[in-house]
Amino acid sequence: MTTDYGALMHRSEVAVSVELQTQDMTLNIGPQHPSTHGVLRLVANVDGERISGVEPVIGYMHRGYEKLAEVRTYAQMTALVNRIDWVSGFASEVPFIIAVEKLTGIEAPERAQWIRLILTEMFRISSHIVFTSSYPLELGATTPLFHALRERERVLELIEGMTGGRFHPNFNRVGGIKPAAGGGKTQKQVSMDIPAGWLEETKAVMERVLGATDDSDTLVTGNELIKARTVGVGCIPGDKAIEYGLSGPNLRASGVPFDLRKHEFHLPYDQVDFDVIAGQNGDCYDRYWVRLQEIREAAKIVLQAIDKIPPGPLRSKAPRVLKVPKGQVYVRGENPKGEFGYFVISEGGQKPYRLKIRSTSFSNLSILPWVLKGALVPDLVAIMGSLDFVLGDVDR
Amino acid sequence: MNDQPEATSVFDTYGAALADRLGGTAIVEHDTIRIYVERDAWVETVRRARDEEGLTFFSWLAGIDWSKDVAVGDAVEEPDGLNERFEVMCRLSSIENADAAQFIAVVPKDDPVIDSITALFGGAEWHERETHDMFGIDFAGNPNLSPIYLPEGFIGHPLLKSYPLLAREVKPWPGDVDVEDMPEEEA
Repeated sequence: MTTDYGALMHRSEVAVSVELQTQDMTLNIGPQHPSTHGVLRLVANVDGERISGVEPVIGYMHRGYEKLAEVRTYAQMTALVNRIDWVSGFASEVPFIIAVEKLTGIEAPERAQWIRLILTEMFRISSHIVFTSSYPLELGATTPLFHALRERERVLELIEGMTGGRFHPNFNRVGGIKPAAGGGKTQKQVSMDIPAGWLEETKAVMERVLGATDDSDTLVTGNELIKARTVGVGCIPGDKAIEYGLSGPNLRASGVPFDLRKHEFHLPYDQVDFDVIAGQNGDCYDRYWVRLQEIREAAKIVLQAIDKIPPGPLRSKAPRVLKVPKGQVYVRGENPKGEFGYFVISEGGQKPYRLKIRSTSFSNLSILPWVLKGALVPDLVAIMGSLDFVLGDVDR
Repeated sequence: MNDQPEATSVFDTYGAALADRLGGTAIVEHDTIRIYVERDAWVETVRRARDEEGLTFFSWLAGIDWSKDVAVGDAVEEPDGLNERFEVMCRLSSIENADAAQFIAVVPKDDPVIDSITALFGGAEWHERETHDMFGIDFAGNPNLSPIYLPEGFIGHPLLKSYPLLAREVKPWPGDVDVEDMPEEEA
């Protein structure tokens, strides 16, 4: 049987000649989808290739940390708060423990504060590497993942060497940090300090991280395919970012050079020299680029901190049973993803009366309906991935 | 104004001046500025803080349940004199310097309604939905107060002090032994 090709209309002609009446379609994405970094469900209304509206459905991972905090002592909570944003566990421990230190008036020794700073920056490097390696993967490039994760593994090994944990260090104590692992009673004084050779090894790894960032620059940053997928896609203007409470690299990519490390000196950030990286257009490319440059700045901070770290004890004296005086305090810190803060209300007991957790990704994700409106379906994963959220941090 | 440090810090002066300009009472504790405002003036105060004081960054919004009826956790220090109430707090900060303040409105328990600030900050919508979920406070003017964290049909508001932790009801937490008094640690 032969087909009469002359009678068939070419596809392009159909599109031109007929005013297509398309029907809106509801597209359900998730809750389990690799690009959602956890369990996020999106109910998208699509008109052809355009997204006309999207409703994120969250709460699949809601663990009720704020309620749990009310039945746990402050020491027990440290083990939980680093599980909120599991990619940057240590960084979310620090503001909580500083809040408790402020309430009790116990201050951490200087050496402990510098180690907190070093570890926070190492978690920033680790968190940003997860982004800069997995984001190209979401766009279809596999190689950067292996390149970058190799360096992250070295950073995690160092973190493990110091804290004993790779993801959930639980290393902060009220009045300082936990002494490094190991050692009996006779060894106590020796093992109370950080492991021998740790600082030198960290220095070497930071140099490697700087080299790997250069690799990423040549491999990804200038890549035309990556640029085609990300430049001008998912633009968030600065004023919108502020209105929705976006913080961290997402805010800075929109051209707002605000970094809490330059304003809140709970850790000695005033004694190190670093630049605040800001983008211009607030598109996916800028959000990628800002994070990649921040890896460099973080490595620079660690290198400076290693030179400046003073000798001394790691922990001040604090009572074993911690009764926190009545008071209310909010402490925020620059988590790798943005402003992370704890509002602690103490009524004088061993447990907080109320703990409000300001988690970064919750606010960062709240702009999703706005930014996805009018975007193309193929750009959905690119835009969503560029916001770098962790669902544990969204749901708490 | 408990536990206030004796020396006047920049936070004290800034907080007092801010409360003076916007109309409200300032409490500054541990460098945290809290400004109590009237419920009727809630939206207006937040708007003026944003437009006139440069506190343009919406950080978060949340609630507190001040209650004598405590199912889990510690009670307040002096339960007898407690004025049972909700508090709705909203934290705004500057994106140019370290200025920041928390605005608090008292919401009575028998009429848990407050005006929504979603018209000022789009980001407040999710925070108000969360507070509605957890405390049952209504936000008049919020376009979508559907549950954000809780599943459909969930009964109760989990962050109310009277709401029990069901797992604890079934089996007491063995971790309680950890918090028993221990001998004072030697130096």
